Order: sequence, then C-alpha cells, then structure tokens
Amino acid sequence: MAGPDVAWYVAVAAALFGIGALGVLIRRNTLVVLLSLELMLNAGNLALIALSRHFHNGAGQIFALAVMAVAASEVCVGLGLVVALNRRELSLDVDTLSELKG
Amino acid sequence: MSLHTPHIDWFGLAPVFALVGTSFVALLCAVLVPRAVRRIAAASVAIAGFTAGIVLAIWLYVDSANGHTIVSGAFYRDRWTALGQIILCGIGLATTLLAVEHVPGWGRNADPARRDDHVAEFFALLLASAAGMVFFVGAANLMTLFLSLEWFSIALYVMCAIDYDLESSLEAGLKYLIVGSFGAGALLFGSALVYGATGKISFHGIAAAAASQGLTGDTFVVVGIALIVAGLGFKMSAAPFHMWTPDVYEGAPTTVTAWMSSATKVAALLLTFRLMTTAFAGDQHLWGWAFAIVATASLAIGNFAALVQRNVKRILAYSSISHAGFMLIGLSAGSALGGRALMYYLIPYSAMAFGSFAVVAARERELGVPVTLDNLAGFGWERPFLGVAMWFFMFGFAGLPLGGGFVGKFYVFAAAYQHGWVWLVIVGVLATLVSLYYYLGIVRAMYMRPAAELALAGGSPPRERLLQLTVGAALVVSFGSLFAVQPLIDLARHAASSLPL
Repeated sequence: MAGPDVAWYVAVAAALFGIGALGVLIRRNTLVVLLSLELMLNAGNLALIALSRHFHNGAGQIFALAVMAVAASEVCVGLGLVVALNRRELSLDVDTLSELKG
Repeated sequence: MSLHTPHIDWFGLAPVFALVGTSFVALLCAVLVPRAVRRIAAASVAIAGFTAGIVLAIWLYVDSANGHTIVSGAFYRDRWTALGQIILCGIGLATTLLAVEHVPGWGRNADPARRDDHVAEFFALLLASAAGMVFFVGAANLMTLFLSLEWFSIALYVMCAIDYDLESSLEAGLKYLIVGSFGAGALLFGSALVYGATGKISFHGIAAAAASQGLTGDTFVVVGIALIVAGLGFKMSAAPFHMWTPDVYEGAPTTVTAWMSSATKVAALLLTFRLMTTAFAGDQHLWGWAFAIVATASLAIGNFAALVQRNVKRILAYSSISHAGFMLIGLSAGSALGGRALMYYLIPYSAMAFGSFAVVAARERELGVPVTLDNLAGFGWERPFLGVAMWFFMFGFAGLPLGGGFVGKFYVFAAAYQHGWVWLVIVGVLATLVSLYYYLGIVRAMYMRPAAELALAGGSPPRERLLQLTVGAALVVSFGSLFAVQPLIDLARHAASSLPL
C-alpha cells in the first residue's frame, strides 16, 4: 500500500513544528503555550514515524513512543504549575508574570 | 515469533541504578517516615545514593579503559562517561549536604512547622535529576539523549517550583518549563531530521552513514545539527539561548540554583562534545563555527549584562552564561586538546559555581531577602570564612591564578590557538578583563564599604556546619585543581581518549 511520498510527511511535520514554535513565541495564555509545546513535540513524532516507515526500521517508531510518554509527563508538570499559580489567583497571562524581570 | 532482548551490562549502568533506586527510597521516606526524622532520613538516603554513585563511577572509570557501547549501542561505557558521572555525583553530594540546612520547599515566610512537609520529595527529585544527568552523559543514540535530557529536565522544573509559597519560585519553574521544552522540541525535531538523512539514531551509525553516503553538508543534516545545537544550547545556557537563565536562577530556591548551575552545565557540555565529535565529525567546519559564534555571543552578553545587575544571583547567572562561552571555546576547537580543556575546566567551574551560590544561600537565610550588592556589605567581616571563600570563588571565576579557573581558561585558549582561532582567544581575554569588574565588585561589596553602609545581620551567625563544610569542599576543589593540574589533566586525557578524535 503506497502512500504519499515521505517528503510530504516531513513537510507537514515541519509546518506543525513551525506553528508550534510560533505559538510558543507569540501566544500569551499559558495553556495555549503548553499546547503549542505539545505540537512541537508531535511534529517530531510525525516525522520520526513517517521516516521509520520509509527506512523500514523500527528505531523511529520506538523513539516516537518514548517521546509520547515524555510529552505527557512534561505537560503534567506544566499543568500542575498552572493549577498552583491559579490557586494563588495569579494571572495565566505570561506577560503579567513578571516578578522576575528578564 | 521470538523476542530478542539485548544483552545488558548491568554494571555499566550501576551509577544510574544507584541513584534511581535511592530516589525511590527517598520518595518512600516522604510517606513512611515520621516528620520529626524525615529530613535526616531522606538526606541520609541521598548521601548514600551519591556516595554509591561516586564509588561505582570510579570503579567504572578504572574498569573501562576500552570504551564501548552497551545495551544494543544505547549507552557508552567509557572513561568520558565515568569521569562526568564522578563530577556529577560529587556535586550531588555537596547539594545534599547544603540542602540539609537549606531545604527548599518552604517559603521564606512560611510556617516553620510545615517546613519539613516536602523535604523527602526534594531529595527524591534531586536524586532523580542526578540519575538523569548521569545517564545523559553516557547517551549513545538520539533517543537515549532525548529521554535522559527530559528525565533530568522535568525533575529540575519541579525543583525550581518547589518553594510554591513564593510566586517567584512558581514563576521560575513555569518559565524554565516553557523555555526548556521549547529547546527539547527543537532537539527532537533536529534528531528526526538527522534520522531522516541517515536512517540511523546511534551516534556511530550516523557518522558511518554520513561518511559512506557522502552526507556531509546535506540539508537535512545541517538543519538537524542546527536544531540540536539550539536544543542543547538552552540546557547549557549559552547565548542566544540564555534568556531564561537569570530569571530562573534568581527565582529558584538557591540550593536548587547551586545544583542547576553546576551540574546541568557539566552534563550538557560533556554530552554535546561527545555528540558533535562522534556523530557529526564530518561537519566539524560547520558546528565548529557555530559554537565559536555562540561562545562569542555568550561571552559578550554574559559579561556586559552582568555589569549592570545589582542582584547577586543574577550576576552569578550572567557569569554562568559567560563561562558557558569559555567552555564552548574548547568545544568549538573539537580537538583532543579541546576535550581535555573542557573536561578540566568543568571541575573548578562546578566547584566555584556551587560554592558561590551556597554562600549566597547563607546570606539570604540571614537577611530573609534577596541578596544584592548593597545588602552584601559587611558580610565578609561578619562571616570571615564564607567571605574568604567567596573572595576565592570570584577571583577564580575571573581567571586570576588563585584556582583552577586560571588553568582552565589557559587550556581552552590553547585549544582555540591550536585550532588557528587567534581571534577567539582575543575575545576570551577581553571578556576576562570585562568580567574582572563585576567579580571584584562582589568582593568590594563584601569588604570595602564605609561603616555607615553596612547591612549587618546582627546577632551571632548561625552555625550552619554543613553549609560551611560544602563551601570548604568547593574551595578545596577549586583551589586544589590549580595544584593538582597534572593528575586532573591526565584523568581528562584518559577520558577524552575514549572519543574518536
């Protein structure tokens, strides 16, 4: 069963990665930023899985499986921090989180 | 269908298992040990874990003269890994001792009765992040690299935010998480591109495929390397990937900052050097230049931004950015001398970084407010030992011949010179001159202030024996590495000889 060429998958993955990176850089809501981070990681996953099929070796698929577990634990910590901030009735807008001036 | 499991060299992974195991035990202390003895119990477990880690890593160093990969080529058992593990476990041990008296996890204004609530979790996280780093320095393919990077990073995100009564700590944790994950995402996508070009994820496999298929300069590989360099750059806090560093170092509990600033850098730089020289040796002209530029940017931004800071933790954060620059000079040379220089430099650097943050922790505890250049006034007279130690750390950071920092700088410059990059040596020397201003500024703030400006804490100083012990140990390492140059360089040479240089 021949699907589209692997280059298309990589192109979609690159587009997803770009959208995710842009989202982290320009969106202000912490939840949307976390969402965009997930998008970046999943762009990597898509590329790995497509390439793994292309090369007929399993390395990429196993890599992607591991990344999913890591991404889940990362967002878990992120959401935990969001809840902790929210309980203190602090804003979730990253621009107003400026006790530490960068 | 039969399942082939790889042969596992359990002993090669022993330091990792020691730390993971003790991390679980420390976590159990959180629920099983009564509050009155919880701090001592968890700290003892952590001390046992790090001591076991050091002993096993030394054993591995002696026993792994012929470096090779284990567990189906997923992990390196060689002297580069082992020496990195010894350094990391040493820093971990010092952090544990510091944390007994300066446990994060309770805000400065929090109820003292609650302050041991999360002490065991802190030690468990410390051990878990150390285990991640100890695995990270030995990673032999892009998957173990990514997994162990996230392993120690996620533990560090929680550790930064562990003082959750303080807004600044939560904010530091969230900032580190967002920026760190951004870097991890870049690293992952870069790894996927390199896999796409070569079909391999192991460092050796990538190098072999790149050589046999003539992939040097291939677009996928080059973009992949760039993304991987960016991802690792975030972890070693090199400019232009440094923006999180001052905020997170300032906001995180000082004990955590001491651990992060020294250990993360050790792990990230050692792994990066191995990755670049092993997997991407064919593209050295590209990454060599990339790291030379990153080093220049780190030196410029780190040193000039430090000049205008008043908060001591922020000054030290910028100093850590500039030291990433110095070490990247050695890395960019990509030679055996560069590897030796990098490995040597990390020993006094991590001692000085740890020690200086420990001194800041002591002052912070006395005053109950963030330490600035103004309220540091008179500290050197009130706490003579810590003052003298800070004095040595600052001079060592500046590269004066009062510690191994001097020899380390000399070695990285020698590596750049041997590579033919005289301009990089000049940049480094200029950066050293600029850095003298703010390092001496801290010494001046401690000692040379008119009596009217002194911000004395008053009373008799707290005993803090363990803090003084760790600062003393850091002092011995940073000062001793100047006298023990030859043995340490020999160790570093043996370690670097396991790399394909």
